[in-house]
Amino acid sequence: MSQEVMLPQGWEARWDSQSNAYVYVEQSTGRSQWEVPTQPSYGSSNPSVSPAPQPAASHHRPGRRQYPTAQIQQVYGGGGYDTQPQAQQPMGGASGYPDHNAQQQQPQYFTPGFGGADAQPQQPQQPAYGQQPPSYGGTPAPPYGQQQQPYPGQQPVDQMANQFQQMNVGYGGGAGGGKQLHQIQTVNLIGMQPDVTGLVAPPPPYLLPPNAAVTASPHIQPDPSYQRCTLTSMPTTQSLLNKSKLPLALVMAPYRSFRGEVDGDDPVPVVEDSVIARCRRCRAYINPFVTFIEGGNRWKCCMCGLSNEVPQLFDWNQAENKPADRWARKELNHSVVEFIAPTEYMVRPPQPPVYAFVIDVSQQAIQSGMVAVAARTILESLDNIPNADNRTKVAIIAVSTSLHFFSLPADATEASMLVVSDLTDVFLPKPVDLLVNLTESRPAIESLLGKLSDMFQDSHTVGNALGSGLQAAHQLIGKIGGKIIALTATLPTLGEGALKARDDPKLLGTSKESSLLNAASSFYKTFAIECSKQQVAVDMFLFSTSYTDVATLSCLPRYTAGQTYLYPGFNASRSEDAIKFATEFGKVLSMPMGLEAVIRVRATRGIRMSAFHGNFFIRSTDLLALPVVPTDQNYVIELQLEDDIKGSFVVLQTAILHTTCYGERRIRVITQAMPTTDSISELYGSADQIAIATYLTNKAVERSMSHSLDDARNTVTKNLSDMLAVYKNQVTSSSGASAQLAVPENLKLLPLLCCALVKHVGLREGASIPPDLRAYAQCLLTTLPCQSLVPYIHPRFYSLHNMPNDAGNINETGQMVLPPALNLTSERLERHGLFLIEDSQNIFIWVGHEAVPRLIQDVFGLNNYGELQGGKSTLPILDNPFSQRVNNIVNKTRELRRGVYRPHVYVVKSDAEPALRSWALSLLVEDRMDHMSSYAQYLTTVKNKVNGN
Amino acid sequence: MGGEGWLFLFAVLMAAVLLFTMVFFIIMFSDLECDYINPIDLCNKLNQFVLPEMIAHAFLTLCFLLSGQWLAFLLNAPLVGYNVNKIMAKNHMYDATEIFRTLSGHKKESFIKLGFYLVSFFYYLYRMILALISESD
Ligand SMILES: [Zn+2]
Repeated sequence: MSQEVMLPQGWEARWDSQSNAYVYVEQSTGRSQWEVPTQPSYGSSNPSVSPAPQPAASHHRPGRRQYPTAQIQQVYGGGGYDTQPQAQQPMGGASGYPDHNAQQQQPQYFTPGFGGADAQPQQPQQPAYGQQPPSYGGTPAPPYGQQQQPYPGQQPVDQMANQFQQMNVGYGGGAGGGKQLHQIQTVNLIGMQPDVTGLVAPPPPYLLPPNAAVTASPHIQPDPSYQRCTLTSMPTTQSLLNKSKLPLALVMAPYRSFRGEVDGDDPVPVVEDSVIARCRRCRAYINPFVTFIEGGNRWKCCMCGLSNEVPQLFDWNQAENKPADRWARKELNHSVVEFIAPTEYMVRPPQPPVYAFVIDVSQQAIQSGMVAVAARTILESLDNIPNADNRTKVAIIAVSTSLHFFSLPADATEASMLVVSDLTDVFLPKPVDLLVNLTESRPAIESLLGKLSDMFQDSHTVGNALGSGLQAAHQLIGKIGGKIIALTATLPTLGEGALKARDDPKLLGTSKESSLLNAASSFYKTFAIECSKQQVAVDMFLFSTSYTDVATLSCLPRYTAGQTYLYPGFNASRSEDAIKFATEFGKVLSMPMGLEAVIRVRATRGIRMSAFHGNFFIRSTDLLALPVVPTDQNYVIELQLEDDIKGSFVVLQTAILHTTCYGERRIRVITQAMPTTDSISELYGSADQIAIATYLTNKAVERSMSHSLDDARNTVTKNLSDMLAVYKNQVTSSSGASAQLAVPENLKLLPLLCCALVKHVGLREGASIPPDLRAYAQCLLTTLPCQSLVPYIHPRFYSLHNMPNDAGNINETGQMVLPPALNLTSERLERHGLFLIEDSQNIFIWVGHEAVPRLIQDVFGLNNYGELQGGKSTLPILDNPFSQRVNNIVNKTRELRRGVYRPHVYVVKSDAEPALRSWALSLLVEDRMDHMSSYAQYLTTVKNKVNGN
Repeated sequence: MGGEGWLFLFAVLMAAVLLFTMVFFIIMFSDLECDYINPIDLCNKLNQFVLPEMIAHAFLTLCFLLSGQWLAFLLNAPLVGYNVNKIMAKNHMYDATEIFRTLSGHKKESFIKLGFYLVSFFYYLYRMILALISESD
C-alpha cells in the first residue's frame, strides 16, 4: 500500500488481517509495533534526533499519538513559509506549555536568517527593528516565539524543511508519528511598514497527521484558489472556537476559470468511467482520506465512519477491459475532481443552453451607443457561444415603452418584429419562432443584430419597461431554463417592477444610507425566486449616466447566481468604453455554462454549515441552488461545530452537480482535510489572513444592508481587535496595556486588509459616494474570487520610471516579471515619476508633473507633460523598449485577475483634474484620507481596543 | 351573561386561535430546518397568515379599548405597536431569500408570541369566569 512511501528507512508495513490494521516491522531487528514509526531504524546518521518513545503494541489505530520530538522540528522546523527558526508549540494539556520552556523564554523577536544551529537556548536575541522590548517580553512563559531546543547541537534544519515544503505539506510531511504544529511567531506592527508582498503568500499549510491520505499524491489538498478555510486547523469544540474569536468559514470559487498558461495549473481531472463510490449514509464521495478495510474490499467513510462496499468496477479499466491500479484512480489522488455522472443523476434530459437577451432600446440607450455595441458583440460572439451540438437557443426582446419581440423562423433571412404594449399582463404574441435554435435561425439572427440599433434610432421613446421584458423572457425560456441577459441604460420606470429615482443626496453619509443599498421593490426578489425555481439565471449589464438603482436590480443576479456589471457614464463614442464593454460582454457570452446546478458541502460529523454568502438561492439548510454556475465567483460558507470532534483530522467536501452545456451531467468534487486541534495558539498559527479578510468582507457587506454602513465598518474593526485581544491575552499571555500591537506572523497583513476594507468604496465613510457605485462595489466585494478581491481591497502599486531592468520583460521561465509592489502611501509618489496603481477594476497611470519630456515621449508619444491629457485612455504601443515594458505590465496585470473584467486605464496627472486625482489617491489606503484614519492611526485604534479602552 | 362576560369569552376564543397560529408557525419553521418544506412554499404559506394574525390581534385590542378594559388593553398595546412598526418598515412578510439567515429570529419571535398568547388566554379565561361569578351574585 502507498503508506509505505511515507515510512522511514528500515521499516516495513505489513497488513495484519486479524486486527485489520498495519503492523510496522523494523527490518533489521524484526521488532514490530502498531505505532507508525517515526525514526529510521539504522540509528545514528543524525545524532541529534532522539528516538521517539515507542510504546509496545497497545493501540490499534496507528499514528494518533503525539510526541514533541525533535523530529517535529526536523520536519517542520525551518518554517514552511518562513525562514525563521522553529518556534515550536509543544503538545500537552489544554494550555500546552510545559514547564521546561520557562527557562528558555526569550524575546519574541528573531533576526531573519538567524540559523537554527547558532540559536542556543541561552543566547539572548536581538530585537529586530531596534525597538524597545515590549512590556510583555519578560512575562513568565510567553508561549510564542520561543526557541525550543531540547537537543542541543541539532543541525540546521531549514534545508530539509524547505524540501518538505516543496513537496506540499498537504499530506503531513510524510515521516513522523508526532503531531506537527504551526510555529507561532509574534510580529509587532506599530511603527512598521507592512510587507505588501506577503499578500500573495500561500495560506499556512495543512499539517495533517501522517497517513491521513491513502495516496502520497501532492494534489490531495485543493489549490487555495478553489477552496480555502479561514483556519487550516479545525478546533475540536465550538467553545474553543468562540473563545478564540477567530471566524470559521470556507472560502471557495469551485468553478474558477482554468488558465493553464497564466497559473501553470492542470485542468481538473475527470473520472470518465462513471464509477462513483459514495457513502451510503452521508452520501460523501470517495476521496483520498477514506480508509480501505477488509483487504481493500470495503472503504470506511471519512466523514461518518460507515463501512461501504468498494464498487466492483473500481479496480477495472473499462476502456481497455483489464484490471487497473486502484492507487492511480484520480479521485484518490486529487482533491479537485470531476465525475461524469450516470443517468440516475439527471432530473430530466439535459437541456440545451438558452440565452434570452432583454435589451433596453429607449432613447438614452440608443444614444449612448450601448445597443449598437451590444448587438455587434453578440453578432461577433455567435460562434463562441457554447453550442457544441447545435442545440443552443436564443431569443431577443427589445424593451422601451412597449415590448418588441422578434420572430426568427429557421428558413427566413429577415426577422419580423411583434410589438406588445400591454405591460401589466405580459403575454407572448406568438407561440413559436421567438425562442429559436441558434444554428438553424442564424441568418435571421444575424440580420436582426446588424440593424437592431438603427431600427430604434428615430423612435425617441423615453421610458423602460424592463420588469415586463424580464417577465416575457422568463415566460419564453422558463420551461427549459437558461440565462437571461438584461442590458439597460435607464432606470426601469414602466410596467412591472417600475422604480423611482430614490437617490436623495440628503441620505448619503447618514445612518439611512443603508436603505439605498437594499431593494426598493419586492418585485425583483419575487421574480428572482420564480427564476431560480425554473432554472433561469439573470445577468445584469447596467449603463448609467444617471441613477439606475443598482441595489435593486442586482437582486436578480444575486439570487439567481448571475452577475451584475456596471458601466458608469458609458458612452460608446469613447473607444475605451466600447472596448471594455465589448470585451467583457464577449467573455460572458463565451463562458462555458454549467446548468441546473446545486452546491452542497458535506463535512465530518459535528460540523454544520451555518450561513452562506454569495450569489445563489438557499433551497434548504445545506443546499445552494444555482440555475447557471458562473465561472470565477466566490462563495463563503460559515461553519459551526454542533458536537465535539474526536478524530485527528476532519474532512470537508464540496460537491457541485451540474449539466454542462454539451449535455453531460457532471459532479465537481473538492475535498479538503484539516487536522484538529484543542489549542488556541495552534488555531492562531493556522489562521489564513486572506480567507479571514474575505469572510470579513462578506460579513461587513451583509451588515451594511441589515444595519448601517457605520455598523459594518465597526464590525470589521471589532472582529479584528477581538481576535488580536485574544491572541495577546491567551497566546502571548501578556496582560495589561501594551505599547505594541502583537499579531501572529501569519496574520500580519490582516490589519492592513481590514484598514483597506473599511476605506473601500463599498463601505467608506462619507457623503460623496453615489449609491450606484457603492452598491456595485458591494456586488463585487461579495463575488470576486480571492485573487481579484485582495487587489480590489488593497490595490497594487508599482513604480515604473525606476523599475528594475527585468520588470516588464519575460524572464528565463517565460513569466512576465512585474515590478516590486510598493506600500500604498503617497510618500512613494515622486514628482518626476511614473506610477501604476491597479485595483483589478481600474488601472491608474500616475504621471508626476515634473516628469522629464523623455519619459512622456517614451510612454505616451507626446512632447512634454503639458500636452498630456488625463482621463480614460489607451496607452500607445511605441517603438521603444520602455513603452513595450509598460504595456507588458498593464497587459500582465489585466491577465492576472480572474473574471471577465477588463480594467480601464486612466492617466492621472499629478496637478490636474482633482476628482480623478483624488480617486487615484483614495486607493493609497495607508494614507490618511479626509477624516478616515491612516494605517498607523488605524493600528493605534485597534491597539487601544486590544488594550481594553 | 353580560357584556363583559361575552367580551372575554370572545377574547378567550381569539387567544386560542392566535395560539394555534403560533404553534403552526413554529411547526413550519422546524419543518424548514428539517428540509420537509422548501423556503418558497414556507413563505407563501406563512405570509397568508401574517396579516390576519395581526389584524385579529389589533381588533381584539380595539375591543378592549372601546369597552374600557384598560388593563387588558394595556397588556396588548405594546404588541400592536410592534406589529404596526413592522408593517411600516415593510418587513412583516417572510422573505424566502433571507429566511435561513433570519430563521432563528423568526423562531424566537414566534415563541415569545406563543407565550404571550398563552398568558393572555388564561388571563381572559380568568376575567370571563370572574365576570360570570359577579353576574350570578
Ligand atoms: Zn459517510
